[in-house]
Amino acid sequence: MARRSRHQVLALLPAAALLLAASACGGGGGTTTANGVQLAEAGKIKTCTHLPYEPFQFKEGNNIVGFDVDLVDLVAKDLGVKQEIVDGPFDTIASGQDLNINKCDVAAAGMTITDTRKQNFDFSSPYFLATQALLVKKGSGVTNLDSLKGKKLGVQADTTGKVYAEKNTGDDVKKVTFEDLGLLLESVKNGSVDAAINDDFVLKDYARKNTDVEMTTAFNTNENYGIGVRKGNDALLKKVNEVLAKAKSDGTYATLYEKWFKEKPKQG
Amino acid sequence: MSRRQRARLFRGIQYGALVVILVVLAFAADWGKIATSFLDLDVAAELFPNVIVIALKNTIIYTALGFSFGIVFGVVLALMRLSSVGPYRWIATLYIEFFRGLPALLVFLAVGFGIPTAFPGTLIDRMVIITLALGIVASAYMAETIRAGIKAVPKGQVEAARSLGMSPARTMITVVIPQAFRIILPPLTNELIMLVKDSSLVFFIGSTLDQQELAQFGRQALSQYRSMTPFVVAGLCYLIITIPLSILQQRLERKANTTAKGGK
Repeated sequence: MARRSRHQVLALLPAAALLLAASACGGGGGTTTANGVQLAEAGKIKTCTHLPYEPFQFKEGNNIVGFDVDLVDLVAKDLGVKQEIVDGPFDTIASGQDLNINKCDVAAAGMTITDTRKQNFDFSSPYFLATQALLVKKGSGVTNLDSLKGKKLGVQADTTGKVYAEKNTGDDVKKVTFEDLGLLLESVKNGSVDAAINDDFVLKDYARKNTDVEMTTAFNTNENYGIGVRKGNDALLKKVNEVLAKAKSDGTYATLYEKWFKEKPKQG
Repeated sequence: MSRRQRARLFRGIQYGALVVILVVLAFAADWGKIATSFLDLDVAAELFPNVIVIALKNTIIYTALGFSFGIVFGVVLALMRLSSVGPYRWIATLYIEFFRGLPALLVFLAVGFGIPTAFPGTLIDRMVIITLALGIVASAYMAETIRAGIKAVPKGQVEAARSLGMSPARTMITVVIPQAFRIILPPLTNELIMLVKDSSLVFFIGSTLDQQELAQFGRQALSQYRSMTPFVVAGLCYLIITIPLSILQQRLERKANTTAKGGK
């Protein structure tokens, strides 16, 4: 007991440290505005995404490029700010966490508009029409979900492809979840799964560059991609929609579409 | 058969089995595919210099931040746990058991999303969040190591310092803690190596291209180049950091051992 009491003065040290830590947390800046639109940080519009999702967003040299990047750049230009892309896991983007904690102003990640996601944040008007499809090894004979019975189907975490696969296949199709698109596609290539489900344009792009795999069935899920904006930031949402509408009417959208997908847009 | 002969025979069988396993593995594996997937030199070349000037650098920065916070807070926690004031002991014990018992990933998600949620509107710097998240994990482990170190300092040292008229606080700061750290240098190096790897969890907080650390850099490049090579390169970069640390640790351990034996 005697030894212990010697430390009594020192006991004040942690208390002081705790107080210091608590008070330090209170600081920090707030949000700023550009042209009446609220942004998390001055001079930039921050975009949350999960890299890479070619051709929507991927690294080329030291830059991130892609269809989504070009679209948000249009918004940035309109606001007179720069776009900054923040890469992170897709689950916290799709769940709205990233937007809600002000990590980003918008989420542009080739993301399908769904009712569940709509509860967590607002979506811009649709800017891309996609559908779910299967990627398989060439000559594998897998053409649809029925031919996958007793086989393994790779899905990407928190994607609509995963939801579609779960709804439309029974327990006889083993679903294997991957965090990254790259790991999912790699698994088709090395044969650890028999097929992968994901958005058709991404799979098409991959099959174009890898001749040993092919895209087979498209499921006509007709999904619309939207850009996510935090609930309550209506000015930004309005701005994004304005820029999208303008791009569609003046032909910028069609030009970008052809640039990244090598075909004419399916919709307006 | 004599005992020695039998022992030699057994050893021979073990070596033989090992050779057979290696030969079978060597022939069974598709080396061509492994080479193209894991050791694509063209892909590896494209990763430079960014894997060093961005990814390796950031890994070191994040680790250093986490370690600094961890060691400072670890000392505080260790002292709290040794304190005579009940509440301090309880808080420290609770903290240590809590954060040592949780997977580091959960702590990261809790800090990375919890703090901005708890203080809405305030834009807390990303570095602060990284320091806190890594530091919280590190301090929980280090506190116990440091406490063990403090307790390992011979009681005579404290008595001698006190009889020289030093105050308890001064005794602790100038006599006990420096000696404690000398004792726990090897296990602290161990924590540091663990932390190097835990820094990969920064991925979950999100980063721009120039904020990527090694694991995230490798992951992103893996998808980009459709090759496992970036993982191999990133892995080698981790080893560049951790192996020298291991060597340092062994040296320190040897030194600590000789000191304990009386410096001879």
